[in-house]
Amino acid sequence: MIIQIENLTKIYDTGSIQVEALKSVNLNVEKNEYVAIMGASGSGKSTLMNIIGCLDRMTSGKYILDGEDVSKLNDTQLAEIRNKKVGFVFQAFNLLPRLTALANVELPMIYAGIPASQRHKRAKEALERVGLGDRMHHRPNELSGGQKQRVAIARALVNNPAILLADEPTGNLDTKSSIEIMDIFESLNNEGVTIVMVTHEADIAAHTKRNVVFRDGEIISDNPVKNRITRETRI
Amino acid sequence: MNIMESIKSAIYSVRVNKMRSFLTMLGIIIGISSVITIVSIGEGGKNAIMGEFEEIGRSTIYVRVNNRADNVKESDYFTMDDIEMLKSKLPEVTAVVPSFGFYSKVKIGQKSRDMSIETTTEDYFEMANIDMLHGRPLNTRDIQSARNVVIIDDKAAKELFGRTNAVGEKISTKFGDVNLNLTIIGVMKAPGGDVAEMFGGYMSSIGIMPITVLDRIVNYRLGYMAVKVDKSADMTETAKKIVRLLENYHRTKDVYYAEEGFKELDMIDTVMGTLTAVIGAIAGISLLVGGIGVMNIMLVSVTERTREIGIRMALGAKRRDILLQFLTESLILCLIGGTMGLGFGIAMGNLVGPLIKVKASVSPSIVIIAVAFSSAVGIFFGLYPANKAAKLDPIEALRYE
Repeated sequence: MIIQIENLTKIYDTGSIQVEALKSVNLNVEKNEYVAIMGASGSGKSTLMNIIGCLDRMTSGKYILDGEDVSKLNDTQLAEIRNKKVGFVFQAFNLLPRLTALANVELPMIYAGIPASQRHKRAKEALERVGLGDRMHHRPNELSGGQKQRVAIARALVNNPAILLADEPTGNLDTKSSIEIMDIFESLNNEGVTIVMVTHEADIAAHTKRNVVFRDGEIISDNPVKNRITRETRI
Repeated sequence: MNIMESIKSAIYSVRVNKMRSFLTMLGIIIGISSVITIVSIGEGGKNAIMGEFEEIGRSTIYVRVNNRADNVKESDYFTMDDIEMLKSKLPEVTAVVPSFGFYSKVKIGQKSRDMSIETTTEDYFEMANIDMLHGRPLNTRDIQSARNVVIIDDKAAKELFGRTNAVGEKISTKFGDVNLNLTIIGVMKAPGGDVAEMFGGYMSSIGIMPITVLDRIVNYRLGYMAVKVDKSADMTETAKKIVRLLENYHRTKDVYYAEEGFKELDMIDTVMGTLTAVIGAIAGISLLVGGIGVMNIMLVSVTERTREIGIRMALGAKRRDILLQFLTESLILCLIGGTMGLGFGIAMGNLVGPLIKVKASVSPSIVIIAVAFSSAVGIFFGLYPANKAAKLDPIEALRYE
């Protein structure tokens, strides 16, 4: 089991009012699953995403990520978990604009303390894996949206994380680029990568194997995808 | 993240924002360069003064009659006999210069001018570094025969006669109510040299005449002599011997004291050192202002790069890594600024120094202090912005537009 969440509650305390963003959520994700977390904005899916990604802390409950109980870790330990066990892909790409694609992909390895020579080699391999071997010395502003997101995916995978977390990865992309990204996710999942993706688009969620739907901080449905869109079905 | 990666990243970020980095550094550059300029000129000035006094100071013993002593008698004051006695008894003594000075108006026709008149012997010219421009210095015959002769400086000559070569001219002056008519036998370069120049040439004109002339006309008490000692001699030992000899000769006790010249030298050293430090500290205030400028820009930089900080945190940067990154950036900025300021300050010192006749001097310790101080400024003023960056909430930082 990669993700094991029990009775997870998150309350935002803004002083005068308390907002219950997540109400005792239970969720398990197995190794090599490909899950879409869906829901309208304010449904709690992004809050869950931040907690799964160890960017935020839960108010109560239990969360075990890749065999490690992360409920009670301090800031430094959480940073280490983010570095080694989680790979983030964001809607806004979140590449550092001043760095080349290669340098962006190297960033997580810098924080992991991997020596420079090894970093270059692994970053190159990761970029080649997402089909950007010829673009590694370009800066983000010289890349298309789809290419930027592919750099972000390479960066997310370079430390071999237990889970790839994608937050609306196609939100800023046109249809063609969106399909490209979904194809990459599909290949990665076939290679054994566990993917959890937040999206509100049903046709993007249809590329995954399992859809979990949130409303008002609760899971209202959790079903396998019946007519899954894959590279083959599209043709 | 290790230190090397932080430094690389910091240098990169400084290079990317060249103009802003330069403007930020400007405060540090100005601060460090003004401190270096002042300290190097101060050091140079001190060296010049020390150099001028060194030659005299290290080999001179000043002997005085303590006129406040209860048992001091008329006969305890020095005479020419004392000088002869010291010279003959102590082979290490190369010159004994009595000195009795008075301040007087010197007249020539309608013109008059204040002059400090030094009465002494021919040895005076051996001890002080005096440049004769015209005529000759005092000689043994002048002293022995108590001739009414005088050597004046070129400034006085120019003022009184309109030319420097005033040899053969006569001047009149007074000691108390006794009139003195003196013939000029020599003109020397105004003493004080570069040191006097440094203080705007503020030194009155001097005239030098044989002390024996005074013996002839007035009753005076000579309570001061400078004794020049051979360099190989032990100064402290010789000073003791001089006092003992004088006590024996005058059959008295606890009336004389002898001081080694370098004690005064040490005092000049301390005074100049303090002066330089004080002015340097005032210049250091500009460094403080520069540091505040660095802090200001670093705060702007942290706000501007909030999203970058969020991304780095999401990718696994610990708070410590973020702190180190911004601290290193501030340190690098200040170090580069400090180094540039150092170069600029040395250049300024060498440029301004000659204008006030001082050879600017930069000691290695100044360089080390400058570098250390700019680093300290970088760390001190970088700490607050860096800490602010490290304390950011990763989620909010990621959301920042």
